[in-house]
Amino acid sequence: MKPTIAIREPVVDDLMDQTEKILTEEQIEKVINEVIDQETGVRLQTYVNTCIHCGLCSEACHWFLSNDRDVSFAPVTKVKDTIWVMLEKKGKVDAAFIKRCSQIAHTECNVCRRCGMYCPFGIDIAYMMLVVRRICAKLEMVPLYLQDTVNSHAATMNQMWVKPDEWIDTLQWQEEEAQGYVPSARLPLEKEGAEIMYSVIGPEPKFLAQLLGNITVIMKVAGLDWTMPATAGWDNSNMAMYSGDFEVMARVERLHHETAQRLKVKKIVMGECGHAFRGGEYDGPTWLGWMSPPIPIVHAVAFYYDLIKSGRIKIAKKVEGPVTVQYPCNIIRNAGLGSKLQYIMNAVCEDFVDLIPNDRHAYCCNAGGDTINCGPPWKKIRVQSAKIQSENFKRTGAHTIVTPCHNCHSGVEDIVDGYKLGMHVKFFSELLIEAMEIPEHLKPKEE
Amino acid sequence: MFNIENWDWESKEKMLAEPAKWKDQFEDVWEPYISPDGEKIASIVKIGEGEFNIAINEGTWEEPFEKIWYSRFSPDGRLTAFITKDMEWTMAVDGKTWEQMYEYIWDTKFSADGKIIAATTKVDSVYSITINEKTWECPTKLQSIASHVISPDGKTSVAIAQTVPLAEGDVNAFTKGAWSVIVNGKPWNDNYADIYGLAISDDGKNVVAEYRNSICEYGILVNEKPWNEKFGCTWEPVFHPKNSDEITAPVRQAGQWFLATNGRIVWDKGFINLMHQTYSPDGNNIAAAVAPSFAKWTIAVNGQPWSKTFNECILKPYFSPDGRKVAAIAKDSGKWLLVVDGTVLGEGYDNIWPPVFGPNGDMVICKVEKNGKYAIAVNGKIRGNDYEALWNPVVSPDGTKVMICGVEDGKYYRKVVLLSDI
Repeated sequence: MKPTIAIREPVVDDLMDQTEKILTEEQIEKVINEVIDQETGVRLQTYVNTCIHCGLCSEACHWFLSNDRDVSFAPVTKVKDTIWVMLEKKGKVDAAFIKRCSQIAHTECNVCRRCGMYCPFGIDIAYMMLVVRRICAKLEMVPLYLQDTVNSHAATMNQMWVKPDEWIDTLQWQEEEAQGYVPSARLPLEKEGAEIMYSVIGPEPKFLAQLLGNITVIMKVAGLDWTMPATAGWDNSNMAMYSGDFEVMARVERLHHETAQRLKVKKIVMGECGHAFRGGEYDGPTWLGWMSPPIPIVHAVAFYYDLIKSGRIKIAKKVEGPVTVQYPCNIIRNAGLGSKLQYIMNAVCEDFVDLIPNDRHAYCCNAGGDTINCGPPWKKIRVQSAKIQSENFKRTGAHTIVTPCHNCHSGVEDIVDGYKLGMHVKFFSELLIEAMEIPEHLKPKEE
Repeated sequence: MFNIENWDWESKEKMLAEPAKWKDQFEDVWEPYISPDGEKIASIVKIGEGEFNIAINEGTWEEPFEKIWYSRFSPDGRLTAFITKDMEWTMAVDGKTWEQMYEYIWDTKFSADGKIIAATTKVDSVYSITINEKTWECPTKLQSIASHVISPDGKTSVAIAQTVPLAEGDVNAFTKGAWSVIVNGKPWNDNYADIYGLAISDDGKNVVAEYRNSICEYGILVNEKPWNEKFGCTWEPVFHPKNSDEITAPVRQAGQWFLATNGRIVWDKGFINLMHQTYSPDGNNIAAAVAPSFAKWTIAVNGQPWSKTFNECILKPYFSPDGRKVAAIAKDSGKWLLVVDGTVLGEGYDNIWPPVFGPNGDMVICKVEKNGKYAIAVNGKIRGNDYEALWNPVVSPDGTKVMICGVEDGKYYRKVVLLSDI
């Protein structure tokens, strides 16, 4: 099988370059065959044997469409140039090949699963890319910035090297901030038996602490019994799931779930993040042997839908002007929250302008699936390959794009910046805080 | 439990406080905690802007503070909490503060008798463990402390700490090892990429932890010495209760989980997962939460799983005092269940707290939650009235009585009930 001609600007990734120099062909062969024999089964074989190489998946892929239909970005090519070769050659490939596999699977595919929807046989191409990532991770061929994030998960159980005291201190600070809006607001730490454990991803305490203040206000106005842990287990994100380090993924997910069990809550409500939902709801539990998380997980979109629909949160003043939304793949295409997202957008926006295509068919932000975590070396091609979504945003004429997912948020900011769209990028909770009614008895008293 | 024989096991019922009235007295009242002997109930209360105190039975601490959090009773009944004065933190014990102030202080731990109070502290961005106001003299500047444990006698304290600074993206330094175990302020000689599952033997002599070298290379360290065997993954090791040289840990090999003792696999059957291994009090038996197949959870005792399985999860097993029976809380189809020796007792609940065995093992008592109210259940069936708040029941040392502490109609009661009457 001839390799596809792929024209790429050279990228310096210190870890991948370093690993390429030290990997031996014996190591590579051993790891490939170990993963294929011990960690995959009939699923991979079925996918590989069923694919008729028709290429219909290409039309689904934003990488292919954004790069002038360059076939080297097509999903079928990504499979052909990676796992097919490994299987055909029974693992006898070299380090340069493994480096190219990592480049394809980690940096040029978001495992967004749009291609699987357009495959006539429903082949989950993203699964095959995750197998490639697993092989690369076991060979330590992982983009530097992504590996650093995984190291943070492994050492601290959070994504951003947040130290235990920094976490608690930030929560206490944001509780005070929330009290500026609602003096009686409280961010209850370690409250055993609360109804809800609220969990977030590492960037919230690190860079976006105001979101913790926002949720403190929202919980108070909605009159909910909630808590947050003062221990590790607070971070629901999981880049190890995407790098291919499933052991660290499982440890992080286990701690997250067992923290909820320790606090004896009824459910976990998670902030606005798509991949974290996938890790908490599906990938983590599956590895650990759970059919579904023993303490149910509710994504922020479903949570806000319930609060608004039930009238626990009332909208006082809708956000003016056209507003659009990015549909996060992991909660929309892969979990069916599209109509709930549309409902809450209509509830808080005077003029919600939907994307075309939307809902399950919407394009990925091109940051998800770890690609944004691959860091600055890979940013240029990532933003370049989000061209099709930039055009979709532009057509809406919106002044703001709502992103109920952290990776989407950062990725869409890069799109707005890269394509000079002149739009704001906000989380849904930021709109909700502006639009919601704060009952009189909760407002600060006039001096 | 410390000094349990001297607790009041004679008074049938004492109404010790009216927490409902605190709501009229203070701006805000946080969730209550009780002392181990049930004689005291306390809540952090807000008394004004930036002013907090602790309400305890009929009084409060003498001095209010800018902020208070993490109020916890020590085993000997003293109330501890973290407080701030002039934006600096310290520990307060029964309202009296430690002299030293810290940049931050968290994660209180107690010795079994409560005489030793330890916490993680930070001063000038250096982390340490402070024990009864004395901070470790550690030769290494600790960059962070992930967790710490103290021995039951309080004489040994250990922590997982970052011993080497790491620059952003320095994966080589990370792989070389930036974390170690610190025992009474002295770091182990080697650093590791990751350390987990730290434990001290009951006699305080041995320290064990999991370590991770690379993506699929995990092992167990005992007093710095690794087991010869490496595994694809491990979970938390535990010590034999009578022999601190015996250590057992779940280990993963070829995609299955096994139980290993001192490096050797002792349960020949592998599982989809295996967690929370627990020795019987005499150390002769061991039970663990296992999944014999996907999404089927149960308890295995000495390697043999119960035939009954549960489709959501099962928590840590508990042995009866004589080691003959095992109880666990399982979740199946949305309900929590009490399971004893593989048989479900009583009905399903919205929540069940850890089970407590009666002296001869024929009675299992639990705090349960149903429809937002709490109650005591015996062998899975609710006995007595509902409570607004309830704490775990405690069986008397002679095994004849049980202490039940709860809030009813806004009043806090400590009751002692004959096990035969419950």
